[in-house]
Amino acid sequence: MRADVIRLYKTVHTWTGIVAGMALFIAFYAGALTVFKEPIARWVAAPSPGAAAVPLDEAPQLIARTLAAHPAAAKSFQIHLLETEHVPARMGWTERPQGGDDHDRSNDRHYLATLQADGAPLIEETKQSRVAEFIDVLHRVVGLPFDNDPSRWVMGVISALYAVALVSGVIVLLPTLVKDFFALRLGRNLKRMWLDAHNVIGIVSLPFHVIMALSAAVFAFHDGIYAVQDTVLYQGQWERLWSRTPPKGPPPPPRDVGTMLPPAELVARVQALSPTLVPVALDYVQPTTPRAAVRVWVRDATTVQRSVNGGFALLDPYTGQVRSTEYLPGRQTAADATIVSFFSLHFATFGGTPVQWMYFLLGLAGAFLFYSGNLLWVESRRKADRGRGALVVQKRSTFLMAAATVGVCIGCVAGISATLAAGKWLHGRVQDLDAWHMGVYYAVFLGAVGWAFARGAARAAPALLWAAALCTAAIPLTTLAGWLLPGIGPWAHGSAAALGVDAVALAGALGLAWMARATARRVRQGSVDSVWSLSAARGAEASASSSGAQEPAAGAAR
Amino acid sequence: MNTKVKAPPIRRDWLSKSIAGTLLGFTLAVAVSGLLDLATQALPLATRGQLSMWLVPPVWFGVLSLCFLFGSGARAWLWLGAANAAVFSLWAALRFI
Repeated sequence: MRADVIRLYKTVHTWTGIVAGMALFIAFYAGALTVFKEPIARWVAAPSPGAAAVPLDEAPQLIARTLAAHPAAAKSFQIHLLETEHVPARMGWTERPQGGDDHDRSNDRHYLATLQADGAPLIEETKQSRVAEFIDVLHRVVGLPFDNDPSRWVMGVISALYAVALVSGVIVLLPTLVKDFFALRLGRNLKRMWLDAHNVIGIVSLPFHVIMALSAAVFAFHDGIYAVQDTVLYQGQWERLWSRTPPKGPPPPPRDVGTMLPPAELVARVQALSPTLVPVALDYVQPTTPRAAVRVWVRDATTVQRSVNGGFALLDPYTGQVRSTEYLPGRQTAADATIVSFFSLHFATFGGTPVQWMYFLLGLAGAFLFYSGNLLWVESRRKADRGRGALVVQKRSTFLMAAATVGVCIGCVAGISATLAAGKWLHGRVQDLDAWHMGVYYAVFLGAVGWAFARGAARAAPALLWAAALCTAAIPLTTLAGWLLPGIGPWAHGSAAALGVDAVALAGALGLAWMARATARRVRQGSVDSVWSLSAARGAEASASSSGAQEPAAGAAR
Repeated sequence: MNTKVKAPPIRRDWLSKSIAGTLLGFTLAVAVSGLLDLATQALPLATRGQLSMWLVPPVWFGVLSLCFLFGSGARAWLWLGAANAAVFSLWAALRFI
């Protein structure tokens, strides 16, 4: 009975794994990078006067003059307190087209406002690269380009398969768990070693994976779940809670934003609530209406936070009265803090930098799980050469799966590195930087996939790994070029965050180069009937070109 | 001599079980979240609604993962259907009585 259950769940694990595996690789690799979204944004940000051009004390004049010149900004705008590389100006806002998808930000237009020497406001669209956001979108919707509802449903299905893969993997491993757990059998049996690595990484990082599977499902399906619950359980009360009934009658005259308390004062009020809060931005919401509010965003390394932007206190910008601390770290009810902790466990917004590094490594290890899982399936399908030394032709399905795995996974790595490095070269030289970022990524990604299918996994893998190593090395090399040759385009930021990106990219490039060498060696020396074997590649090519697969040697061996 | 009767092997019935696990697992998860909602009435709706929503994926995927253990697809539908009826009845009783 137990053996039957194990067999059953091995099938479940295999199928959910290979269907969802490549999408999950992209989600985890891009997700690992997204932990460091802000350092990446700082790395790729072109030098600009930034928020420092307007001292915080002059912010009230900046707000008043900007709203007078550009009333559309009055819906919502931000005053930035951080003066890091990726903050282009003291004031900024986003204009969203009407009726757009709730989560899809790709059609937003971003503006900045600063004061010129004569006090007149300068308002323009930002030209900053949004590649960090693009990498975030790739991780959110498993490699699709737009974070809209249909993409999220795809991501949701993937997360369901992923959850089932986790449970089934544990069930399969359970009987031998204690005996085999620490048995990482390094040695000549490479397939055993890869399987042991896959198992031990899977079990050790299981809590992380459970968190990711469940939170990703929530992000994908929450709207649908709320809709069903509202109909069945709450009889419409949930919808009524969030619906905004427009006020009746003519709109009241707009309030004079000059009478708002200065940002510095609002920040001081929030700072007074707790010494561990670090305010980072003020988010004014409809400040010219009776419902005017300001969210003072804060970070607090000592608590959990709902969002990567931190938490916030809700104030009245005219009186300074604190209206709500529901989302303020350290000041929430136990129930709200519990909910916030669910978000925080996904976003790694707790525990500061050490936890961020932990999630980064867990993300990369997770990507390894999906890559290795697919290749283990491929290897398990190989027809064993019965020692007769004859050429064995691999089944088409294993050939295709190996090529797909190698192409998608390495293509994703190379594509992200390429588009990241391109951010420094293309800035100021192209009209639509967002489109170019997408174009560079998909060109490299699809090129890698095409190459892998054309050449087969064995011949393509070393070349693709070298290509990925070069694309990744381009990141620190671009910074070096910017530092040594300031006139040619790229720049070099000296902050720890930006240099950290260069350092990690350099380490990554070296790692990929090592993998390229190891794979090339395996391809040359490995077992002849393995999918990694060159002769298998040639054999598969031969079978693909003739109309029917010929397997004379294998057939005779039976 | 083998005196123990071997249990019949589990019928795979992949499609039937997957659909049962997906559909009835989801509805069962909503029913269970309803029980949580009733247990947390002291909290404002904005908060308890979020907690109830978060409860759905773990219950749903838990059922979906384990539904393959049923002896056959038909049994999966039967047992999950019964579980749905039971939990929804309990919820309705606690809610409206």
